[in-house]
Amino acid sequence: MNLSVLIQSLRCSLLRIESRLLQASGLETNLAPALAVDGPSLPPQLHPENQLEEQQENQEQPSGLLDSILWMAAPKKRRTIEINRTRRRSESKLIKVKNNIEPCLECGHLKQKHTLCGFCYAKVSRETALIRQQINAMEGGPLRAPAVETVVLYEGETPSNQDKDKRIVERPRKRPAWFSY
Amino acid sequence: MRLTLQTLISHGRVARRMGLGPESRINMLRNILTGLVRHERIETTLARADEVRFYAEKLIDYAKKGDTDEKAMKMASFWLTEKDLVPKLFKVLAPRFEKHSQGFTRMARLPNRENLDRAKMAVLEYKGNPFPPLYPVKKENELTLINQLLKGYREEKTQELAQ
Repeated sequence: MNLSVLIQSLRCSLLRIESRLLQASGLETNLAPALAVDGPSLPPQLHPENQLEEQQENQEQPSGLLDSILWMAAPKKRRTIEINRTRRRSESKLIKVKNNIEPCLECGHLKQKHTLCGFCYAKVSRETALIRQQINAMEGGPLRAPAVETVVLYEGETPSNQDKDKRIVERPRKRPAWFSY
Repeated sequence: MRLTLQTLISHGRVARRMGLGPESRINMLRNILTGLVRHERIETTLARADEVRFYAEKLIDYAKKGDTDEKAMKMASFWLTEKDLVPKLFKVLAPRFEKHSQGFTRMARLPNRENLDRAKMAVLEYKGNPFPPLYPVKKENELTLINQLLKGYREEKTQELAQ
């Protein structure tokens, strides 16, 4: 129904354009009074009151790519809170429970089974940082690594037979309980 | 006859891609390896530590050939960007691992980094380093009640056997 009205209007407009062009070019052979205008050779349509709306709708109705706007997906109904809750709280969306957490045997802090204890490693890391500070002070500058082994001795310790050829790094504190070979 | 897309599918490919490309990956690993030889214990991301481990052990294998060997010296001078570590490698690390045939490094996982990225971290060290051990040595305490009771039980048994 809309398509036929569209085609009709297109035909009318094309005929009007043709007559106007002929008038302008002066190739017309019809002799008619000047005020009389050559109308379209098609009979007028029935339902003239609807024609205006339909023409407006037809002009609005685009062809090709934008046609799909009228066929896009849209929600039909509001999703209820129960349905929303079941979707939001489904098992795949909840945080997974870890069962690989255990207490560290040394300090009692929690750690993962395949990982070192964070607290114990922080202790070790702090002590190694202090040892490295001492080494830097002994070396005096960058790029001066000696070609000898290093051994760390704490307060009141004397170098043993194994530590003969090694560079001795002194730490001015008591040997910690977790550092012993 | 290849029926699959070689470039787009990476099923079963085990080689890691790091940095901006293969050359960048080697440069990055070279820097990490130099740091490892200097400090003997470093803390990096798990992937980098895992990659460096292979190169660290291969470097020790080359160092064991001795510093008169041309290939070994070329390898050492390529991989160690700080040249004061080349004598350290040949005179300290190679003799340290004389008796061992493999397994010169130890890698342990750490808790994830505290940053926003929560990256997996690992600590990588050469065995025999002078620092405190990562895995504390468990010492049996003689003075606990159970150990004292067991000691008494063992003494009684030896006395009974002697009679």
